[in-house]
Amino acid sequence: MAPEPLSILTNPLATVEQLTSSSSQFDGVPADLETSIIHAGARLTQAAGILLQLPQDIIAQAIVLFTRFWIGSEGGSLLEHNASDVSAATIYLVSKLSAYQKSPRSVINTYAYLASLPATFPLPSTYIDAQDASTYHVSEGTYLTSRQTLNANESLVLRILGFQTHVALPHALSITYMQTLSFIPSPSGTALAARTFEHLNAALLSPQLLYLTHPPATLAVAAIYVAAREIGTKLPEGEWWEVFDCEREDLGFLVLAMGSFEGFVREEVQKWGRRGKVPLTAKQVAGEIEKRTMLEEGA
Amino acid sequence: MAGSSRWASSAADKAEEARRKLEKEEKKKAKLEKQRKLEEAEELRQNEAAAARDTAAGIGSNGDEEASGRPAKRRRLSTDNNATSDEASQRPRKLLRFAAPGWGPCRSVDNYEPLNRIEEGSYGLVSRGRELATGDIVALKKLKMDNLADGFPITALREIQTLRASAGQTHIVALREVVLGTDPINDVYLVMDFLEHDLKTLQEEMSEPFLPSEVKTLLLQLVSAMDFLHERWILHRDLKTSNILMNNRGQLKIADFGMARYVSEPPPKNLTQLVVTLWYRAPELLLGAEQYDDKIDMWSVGCIFGELLKKEPLFMGKNEVDELSKIFTLCGPPTLHSWPTFRRLPNARHIQFPPTPPNLTPTEVKSMTTPSPLPLRTHFPLLTNSGTALLSALLSLDPLTRPSASEVLKHPYFEEIPRPKHTSMFPTFPSKGAMERRRRWSPNAPVRGEAVDFGKEVDGGKVDFAGIFGGNSEAGGAGFALRMG
Ligand SMILES: Nc1ncnc2c1ncn2[C@@H]1O[C@H](COP(=O)(O)OP(=O)(O)OP(=O)(O)O)[C@@H](O)[C@H]1O
Ligand SMILES: [Mg+2]
Repeated sequence: MAPEPLSILTNPLATVEQLTSSSSQFDGVPADLETSIIHAGARLTQAAGILLQLPQDIIAQAIVLFTRFWIGSEGGSLLEHNASDVSAATIYLVSKLSAYQKSPRSVINTYAYLASLPATFPLPSTYIDAQDASTYHVSEGTYLTSRQTLNANESLVLRILGFQTHVALPHALSITYMQTLSFIPSPSGTALAARTFEHLNAALLSPQLLYLTHPPATLAVAAIYVAAREIGTKLPEGEWWEVFDCEREDLGFLVLAMGSFEGFVREEVQKWGRRGKVPLTAKQVAGEIEKRTMLEEGA
Repeated sequence: MAGSSRWASSAADKAEEARRKLEKEEKKKAKLEKQRKLEEAEELRQNEAAAARDTAAGIGSNGDEEASGRPAKRRRLSTDNNATSDEASQRPRKLLRFAAPGWGPCRSVDNYEPLNRIEEGSYGLVSRGRELATGDIVALKKLKMDNLADGFPITALREIQTLRASAGQTHIVALREVVLGTDPINDVYLVMDFLEHDLKTLQEEMSEPFLPSEVKTLLLQLVSAMDFLHERWILHRDLKTSNILMNNRGQLKIADFGMARYVSEPPPKNLTQLVVTLWYRAPELLLGAEQYDDKIDMWSVGCIFGELLKKEPLFMGKNEVDELSKIFTLCGPPTLHSWPTFRRLPNARHIQFPPTPPNLTPTEVKSMTTPSPLPLRTHFPLLTNSGTALLSALLSLDPLTRPSASEVLKHPYFEEIPRPKHTSMFPTFPSKGAMERRRRWSPNAPVRGEAVDFGKEVDGGKVDFAGIFGGNSEAGGAGFALRMG
């Protein structure tokens, strides 16, 4: 078990076992429900990060840790742990290790505010411009119990991840690649870079858990590829991606996955409705499963 | 965890839960077994395909290695409502275990058999152990878990984070895994490769100092590790001989990342000043600098260099003021020439310097403030010219003139005779880590709440270093008497 060097280029990647099984499924959580919850939990992490005014790279790291937590037979089960608590723990943990440490109190207040929102898929402006977010406070009693929950979940996350908190992100790398390809600086360079980042950020929420399956370099190349085609930037002739250690097959897979993301979100919104809430606690998940069983039996 | 209390309230529930658990385990086992078979078959297929490809392409085993180095796994989506319905692209293509660094839950400390305590000091936290499955001898360090109100201690998180980031560096101790205690499950242990010695204990046992060629090898290894860390924006912040390990093959490895952290440029504002054990603490820290950088580690490297030559710590101060005076005695007092900005440091206010006479020409000022030749020579009579130059550069009071690790690596000292001794030629010593050991007192790493306030520490509120400045110190020889103002 020689330790592997970790760098800005390497990420711990999931094993096949981790990608094809999960504790939640062993516990009887239907796969599509699991997908919905992990996606909604990642969105929750993102929303909390924005409200806490954390930089995007910190938020991205938290989302990756959140996603890592649930996969594989040794990962966490949605019927045992609350997705919302795990999300709060990852934000708290990642911010603690960064230059933007957040107090337990602000994390707790933020998550309490988000839990009070009536739906899982509100317009992003709901929480970005939210006035009441900064004024939302839990009672002192709630705060004290919430802090214990936060600490317990932080330990839980560390335990399940074996203290593997390293996350390498593709964002900075994609800028370097665009420079190498002479896409920036150029007239359409800014638009291209912006669109590339949008794809990289969307990929964080992908149901295919792309940050767990592909190294940063491959993600960066794929996002540039998709963005360039959308914007109309002319790509070089030949197999240019090979320069960046990316294989055609991986690129093809990622391009499809990134391209299908918007469709996935649309279907999720349709499934849960503009008013519905994706279950984010173990109790709610159990309730949802029960409801489904009853509906099936009734049908 | 949460499950047991929430779901099992009655005995019947408990039984039902146990049954479910067993069922889950069974399912898990069956699934893992299936997975394993699949992987084996796939691996075989891969190898055959690779071999065929290589033969076709007329290349050797290189291609094979490349294929096995790249993991490619995809998440299979059970929902049929996504656009990627291409079956081929969803099937795991190359199934290779052990290919990439992954993660998994912490194992239990019970996987190790305790052998003996290594460190019998203040905490007795580090012990030697044997991994039951492999027989490997390891060092287990129990992390200090204080300040639990804010969750998992940030220092412990950073220790793991920075050690992980250093994996693979030959001269940084290898962290094998993090394991959890069973009795209080909250105990966390770092499992590291075991090394026979630390340089402090070893030097205490040696009758003669290391040879110049050996010092050179040790310093080179130390600085290459520092270069690696600083290149990656990691400061160690507690370099000292007891935190430097050596095995019986002359290989040096830095340990104890309990103070280490990532920094940035410009340096973060919230850096604590309570870093580095007193005897190895840079003058800018002693003078209360709020921002500091990799050069604080390089000061400690200078102290360790000198210590290896002398077999004794260079600056054994009793407190911060005493430490500064010992430094100024050996390195000369700070002057506007040697350290233009030192007067701006918070604690410099409490130090009395001789008044600068008015109306002097710049040349006159310069001649007054140029330090006299360092007494380093007399302390290290056997050190060559370039060795002395390197040591005095590392012990520059001004962090800006102190060399970085990468600069030190290029220093002519390492080129000249005697050349660094090959590690395989190092003498071996009996390992104290495997036995009981007696410890001598030396200061510990600083702890929270220990910040020095010179104003309080000294009677009159000021520390008078004027003696060093005027060059008319009454104290003879190496000793320097501190006069309180
Ligand atoms: N991997 C190792 N192999 C052998 N001995 C080790 C190892 N790690 C640590 N030690 C021994 O244990 C001692 C203490 O380890 P370390 O410095 O990591 O712990 P610490 O609690 O931070 O100590 P301190 O507070 O005294 O600096 C070292 O000085 C060394 O003698
Ligand atoms: Mg130590």
